[in-house]
Amino acid sequence: MWAMMLQSRQGRAFLDPRTKMLLVITITSIVIGGGNGGAMNIIKPVLTAVPFLLFVVERKWKTAMTYVAVYIAAFSGELFLVPITRGFLNFIVVACCGMFSRFMPGIAMGSYLVSTTTVSEFMAAMERLGLPQKLTIPLSVMFRFFPTVGEEYSAIGDAMRMRGIHFGGGKPGKMLEYRMVPLMISCVKIGDELSAAALTRGLGASVKRTNICRIGFGVFDVLVMLICILGFCILIGNKCLG
Amino acid sequence: MIELKNVSFFYTGEQADAGVKDISLVFEEGKVVLLCGKSGCGKTTLTRLINGLIPHYYEGTLTGNVVVNGYLVADTALYKMAGIVGSVFQNPRSQFFNVDTDSELAFACENMGMPEEEVRRRMEYAVEELELGSLLGRSIFELSGGEKQKIACGSVSTLEPEVFVLDEPTSNLDMEGIALLKKVVAYWKANGKTVIIAEHRLNFLADLADRVIYLEDGKIAGDYDGVTFFGQQVSFYRDRGLRSPYLKDIWRQERYMPHLKDFCSLQGFYYSYGKPGSVLDIPKAEIPLGHVVAVVGKNGAGKTTLIRSICGLLKHDKGILGIRRKKLKARERLSICYMVMQDVNHQLFTESVLDEVLLSMGQKDQATAEWILDSLDLLEFKDMHPMSLSGGQKQRVAIASALTSDREIIVLDEPTSGLDFLHMQQVAEGIRTLQDKNRTIFIVTHDPEFIAACCTDILLMERGKLREQYPLDSEGMGKLKIFYGI
Amino acid sequence: MKQKIQPKDLITVGVFLAIMFIVCMGVAMLGYIPIFIPLLSVLVPLIGGIPFMLFLTKARKFGMVLIMSVMIGLVVGLMGMGVWVIATAPISGILAEIILKSGGYGSVKKSIFSYGVFSTWVIGNYIPIVVTRDNYFSMLVSGYGQEYAETLMGYIPDWSLIPLLFASFLSGILGALIGRELLKKHFVRAGIA
Repeated sequence: MWAMMLQSRQGRAFLDPRTKMLLVITITSIVIGGGNGGAMNIIKPVLTAVPFLLFVVERKWKTAMTYVAVYIAAFSGELFLVPITRGFLNFIVVACCGMFSRFMPGIAMGSYLVSTTTVSEFMAAMERLGLPQKLTIPLSVMFRFFPTVGEEYSAIGDAMRMRGIHFGGGKPGKMLEYRMVPLMISCVKIGDELSAAALTRGLGASVKRTNICRIGFGVFDVLVMLICILGFCILIGNKCLG
Repeated sequence: MIELKNVSFFYTGEQADAGVKDISLVFEEGKVVLLCGKSGCGKTTLTRLINGLIPHYYEGTLTGNVVVNGYLVADTALYKMAGIVGSVFQNPRSQFFNVDTDSELAFACENMGMPEEEVRRRMEYAVEELELGSLLGRSIFELSGGEKQKIACGSVSTLEPEVFVLDEPTSNLDMEGIALLKKVVAYWKANGKTVIIAEHRLNFLADLADRVIYLEDGKIAGDYDGVTFFGQQVSFYRDRGLRSPYLKDIWRQERYMPHLKDFCSLQGFYYSYGKPGSVLDIPKAEIPLGHVVAVVGKNGAGKTTLIRSICGLLKHDKGILGIRRKKLKARERLSICYMVMQDVNHQLFTESVLDEVLLSMGQKDQATAEWILDSLDLLEFKDMHPMSLSGGQKQRVAIASALTSDREIIVLDEPTSGLDFLHMQQVAEGIRTLQDKNRTIFIVTHDPEFIAACCTDILLMERGKLREQYPLDSEGMGKLKIFYGI
Repeated sequence: MKQKIQPKDLITVGVFLAIMFIVCMGVAMLGYIPIFIPLLSVLVPLIGGIPFMLFLTKARKFGMVLIMSVMIGLVVGLMGMGVWVIATAPISGILAEIILKSGGYGSVKKSIFSYGVFSTWVIGNYIPIVVTRDNYFSMLVSGYGQEYAETLMGYIPDWSLIPLLFASFLSGILGALIGRELLKKHFVRAGIA
């Protein structure tokens, strides 16, 4: 996931980060908890298709295909397997298919948001939404730090393999300790250095921060937002009408 | 002008010796000043006193005054100091706040809340002045060490400070990277900036430093003008525990080269990271067993990929390593090779130095473990937490566990980056101990002084290929010097 | 000590957020196998205890734990794992913060208790299962008939949130105890706590 965060972008992104965030929230609330019947039967499939279309626009073919495949599998499982199974097996099928068909779209949208937004775009979006520095700084540090923690994690994994420390060989408690202790220590050290470097370049100055990253709404943003608003209207309408 | 008056500082919590005691100094404008001395001598502390990280970031007891361009550092908020003193640090990996170069260049100005046009103007200016054009729009993860340090310099120079402070900026750089950094420092000097550099590697500053301050135990133990300092005999630097500024003076430690008939062979070492073009392409090579092989080459020549492949750490690796009539595939190599990583923090797992060594033993045998620690001069630390040791000591703990592991092939990745002369010597001593125990050793390094101290063979790599292989005899030493351009 | 939150503290929060996420995400991958989902309410707090206890040694000012919880809520929410966490995380965060403050940010017992309370944020991930139950039920009724739907709903009782809440709290306490042990054994001696 973080591998994709590392891109820098020429020109503007397809969707504004704020639009993407709105999409995540819309999809998670409507597809997971939206109820059935009426207009829901139209808006739900539309929202479910959105992550797929976005992956296609970004030319992430593999992700798009995986998404479709898993969704179809879960959906047809719910349709065909649930009626013909019984007992514990039935429970598993219901749980698996129900979970996947409901949670997949939201998670796919979330991963789209994370993988197609650069850190500065995030910062810019958060700042324009009026979030205080107390939230934007931790958020940007976190995104900056994901790849670092990932790198450290895999380097420690290498070191463990080389020293012949495997799962199954020892106690799980020891495994956890060998994994976590070097990870924590390296991350804290790198974090300290990162802080020092950022502070000597004025991070946290008591002035309003500029952001030269250009974000803004385009035609597609408006279109997507309309769909989201429509979705929420139907959701509220349904709730009110019972 | 920078003025330190009777300044003392002690860190809270950390070792008492890392601070500085009663320092009084005046730095004139437009000069390049080198701060040198052994690890823990206080040179880094001095840089922090100037850029304001002390007392605003690192906690401790500070007495005396530090005044930079009329600002009393203790009373000036860090973000205000940012415009007065620009800071570049040792580790390029941890000093970047953004993951792309453009945002990184804009970062400092954005923090200051400058208008967007102003930010862009200053970025353009820095790009032009420091020749950063080719680095724009790149992910920082694809830059070489030298390029990262250049961006780091660019990113602080956008605020146009009068003073620059660099804390061991070349620790992770190869010769090419150092040359890039040197140009930047020369440019600043030509533009009348004050540049203060704390460094172990003195070589690149020989014709730049106007003044050299030698520190010992947190005190000033020598204050020279550049010409005097760099005009001394080798013994002058050795006595002070400093790296030699004149690499051409380095001499080769006569090493025992066992003339064994046995070789370990590399066969079909090809590798590419999914992208077109291979990063490693060695059809066949033979390395004499029991030798210490320095793997040298420019950044991106495939050195690290080669040693990772030797250790069996790469996925889908088809290379075969032959040793004593055995043909080993990648997975099988994991159990005969041991890698001491560049960042040893990754491979220290236990709560004491002794446990660390015992961990790699099949049969736990405390007496042998202690004997090995003793041979590496580590016995007195056996009950300490490995992570609380200094960089050189940690390297040696990793070497000690490599020794106890009974692996035949030991691989080290840049073991001396950021080490002072003494610690470098200690690591070299550790390597010699390994060789005495008949291990075959591969070392990726950029450090000619270290190669001369303990290696027996050179493998020169270029664009993934094995360019040259020769023994490090007096003729080989000549070749090596030509490679390093010294 | 300055009591106001400094930029340095905000960076610390960000660093630990990243660590918490990666560490917990390693475990949360289990959630792709749905029968493990209830188990996550135990595992995530358990593992998270290690970075969290280390974080507490650096979070000695009012607000750092709260900011951490708000961020966890936002990020989990924005990653598409449900919007309820955006609400539950800050609630458990502010409670945890108050407990810490009452101990003057120095009490070991209170810090362990505080992490137990903090851990209950995970409950937000389970709320949709209960809240959307009715929708799901009516869908099942229309599709497969009343009787069948009722058996199925028996698998997810109404009160299932309460044991999960307790489970997350208790495993949080346990995670904090493990974190404490490692803190003493490693982090303090290594000079980073």
